[in-house]
Amino acid sequence: MRKIRFIIRKEFQQIRRDRAMLAIIFVLPVIQLILMGYVISSEVQNISMVVCDLDNSSVSREMINRFTTSGYFHINYYEKNQDKLLDYLDRGKVTGAIVFPQDFHENIVNGQPASIQLLLDGQDFNGATITLGYINGILQQFSTENLEKQMTNLKLAGINPKLIQVETRVWYNPNLEYSDYMVPGIAVFLLTMVTALLSAMGLVREREIGTLEQLVVTPITKYQLLIGKILPFAILGILEFAIALGFAKLWYHIPMNGNLALFSVFAVVYLFTSLGVGLFVSATAQTQQQALFMAWFFMVFLFLMSGFVFPIENMPQIAQYLTYINPMRYMIIVIREVFIKGAQFHHIMWQGAAMAAFSLTLFLISVRKFQSRVK
Amino acid sequence: MKSRIIPIIRKEFIHILRDPRSLAIIFIMPTLMVMLFGYAITFDIKNINMAVLDQDNSRASRELIDQFSNSGYFTIVKYLNNREEIEENIMFRQFIAAIVIPNDYQESLDTGNPAQIQLLVDGSNANTATIVINYIRAAMSALTLNINANIIKMPINIEPRFLYNPDLKSSHFIVPGLLAVLMMMICAMLTSITIAREKETGTMEQIIVSPVKSREIIIGKVTPYIGVAFLVSSAVLIFSKVVFNVPIRGNILLLALFSLVFIYASLSIGVFISTKAKTQQVALMLSMVGTLLPSILLSGFMFPVFAMPLFLRIMSYIVPAKYFIVITRGIMLKGIGAEVLFPQALFLFVIGTILLFISSKNFKTNLES
Repeated sequence: MRKIRFIIRKEFQQIRRDRAMLAIIFVLPVIQLILMGYVISSEVQNISMVVCDLDNSSVSREMINRFTTSGYFHINYYEKNQDKLLDYLDRGKVTGAIVFPQDFHENIVNGQPASIQLLLDGQDFNGATITLGYINGILQQFSTENLEKQMTNLKLAGINPKLIQVETRVWYNPNLEYSDYMVPGIAVFLLTMVTALLSAMGLVREREIGTLEQLVVTPITKYQLLIGKILPFAILGILEFAIALGFAKLWYHIPMNGNLALFSVFAVVYLFTSLGVGLFVSATAQTQQQALFMAWFFMVFLFLMSGFVFPIENMPQIAQYLTYINPMRYMIIVIREVFIKGAQFHHIMWQGAAMAAFSLTLFLISVRKFQSRVK
Repeated sequence: MKSRIIPIIRKEFIHILRDPRSLAIIFIMPTLMVMLFGYAITFDIKNINMAVLDQDNSRASRELIDQFSNSGYFTIVKYLNNREEIEENIMFRQFIAAIVIPNDYQESLDTGNPAQIQLLVDGSNANTATIVINYIRAAMSALTLNINANIIKMPINIEPRFLYNPDLKSSHFIVPGLLAVLMMMICAMLTSITIAREKETGTMEQIIVSPVKSREIIIGKVTPYIGVAFLVSSAVLIFSKVVFNVPIRGNILLLALFSLVFIYASLSIGVFISTKAKTQQVALMLSMVGTLLPSILLSGFMFPVFAMPLFLRIMSYIVPAKYFIVITRGIMLKGIGAEVLFPQALFLFVIGTILLFISSKNFKTNLES
């Protein structure tokens, strides 16, 4: 035990001496957390559009008005010449073009189906579908209002129109605050990145500058050495996570509907998982540069395939299986379930078990690898 | 001046070639990542787990349920018997939305009263929840108009045309973006380490006492990596062309030329970091912690920049990947040329030059102190 304490003290001294490192560990993540929470909001707004109104009637103007007042669109350009519309899209000035054909008004008056042409920039699949959804919504609103207007008349005429209304209730996050969903995820990711990188660099650095050999010839066992290396980072990680979540709470008013003590236990388990990832990297890489690139791969993998922003259920089947080996997947579930939904232990215990299994496995593999490397 | 830069370039090349394992990692990692994530990440909405509580159990209610299960967006994972089951299951994440059809559903429809169904959504994932709500509302309006088709026509049709990516393939959108995001990070990491390593191992002092100017050292350090990074990005591009059949509709030479400008800007970030950092460890941490989230989140790779608040839009101006995404998507998907994309390339060049200028100033003061 005393031997471990020596290593821990040595590590802490090294970190404390390095001001730049302290800033990277504590300041940079908090700044990013505060900024990045604003990256998405509940609605895509400011969609830039160009309108080509060949009809120029009261109905087409009413429709344009509905587009502007919906709040989603900025009609930045009006173009008389239909052939020029593509140019606006090519230059990226607009995301879409709406064309009202000449017979638009006439068709509506005559009870014929009137059509609107829509050109959408399909590069951004997500954006294009959302835009189409908004436009559909506006048109359907128009149609339903029409139907409701006619209902009384139809009833008088003895015809029963059928109307379905949807009453929506959103649980746990009734205002659909995007920050409640983004910020905890970002906090988890930043914690993962900083702790995994710290432990990844820790051993490789000693190996590269040669001090590792000095440690190996001392009467410290491999386990003691690794534990002594890991524990200081774990303490830093806990501290950092507490600070990040404190800021998240103060700045974004992230709700905490669950039990903080329960969450802390899971967070500590996860912390050892991410330290384990770093340890694994450092036991495999020869130089700090290699460690960095390997850690980079893991980080992007953890980020993109955790269900944090890209829903796992939308992925192809094989990719879905791959997400099971992503420890961050489990932590994202835990943080959202506990913070937002107030989950209890039995709701998330399998996530906890998976994380514990990961940290144990990674630690054992790393010790093995490390041992064979030293010999 | 030229003759003094060339030996530095040669020395740096030897350094790179001497460590084949690192070189292999530099080539394999980004290629592997584009393959993996280009395949895994999609924006397609499908398989959203849903449950139904049908209290009416009528012909009309079954028709409604069929609408959902046939849409392709939803998988009905559970038919519930009572309301209590909803919350219990949502807590265990069995489904994220439930539809409650009241027992007077068919009757209301038949008598001409509005039939009210209830949609209960788990809001803890605001993104998916919003998509589900919008989709179900739209589907219900469509259904309303559909079952009244004999008495009223939907007065307005839309004819949407998706330009540039007519099949709406996610990979065609994701891959050019990934290329930009990953290349920006790899470039920053590559150069951040080189100068810091020399500082740490003490070889920097040897270079300093030689009659080379700091400007020359920096140019000599960056040039070989422009070559390496260019080869990496070409490899990634070729692989994504072969595997995902991503179109390249515009001029490939222009794409190559603009990649060089982009690489120049991204490498400059690394140089800037490495003149600030004293040790490799700090340089590496800074280049990753500092670039990973901004390059993914502020580049327009996932979230459109125009929808962000003003201060983030301003910040996005210093993210080289933001410009390069416009360039890759523009040339590959839109097939547009330099006349449209020139400003993007100019911005990249300016960012790179400013960063290198500051770095060379930093470097000098480092030497003096």
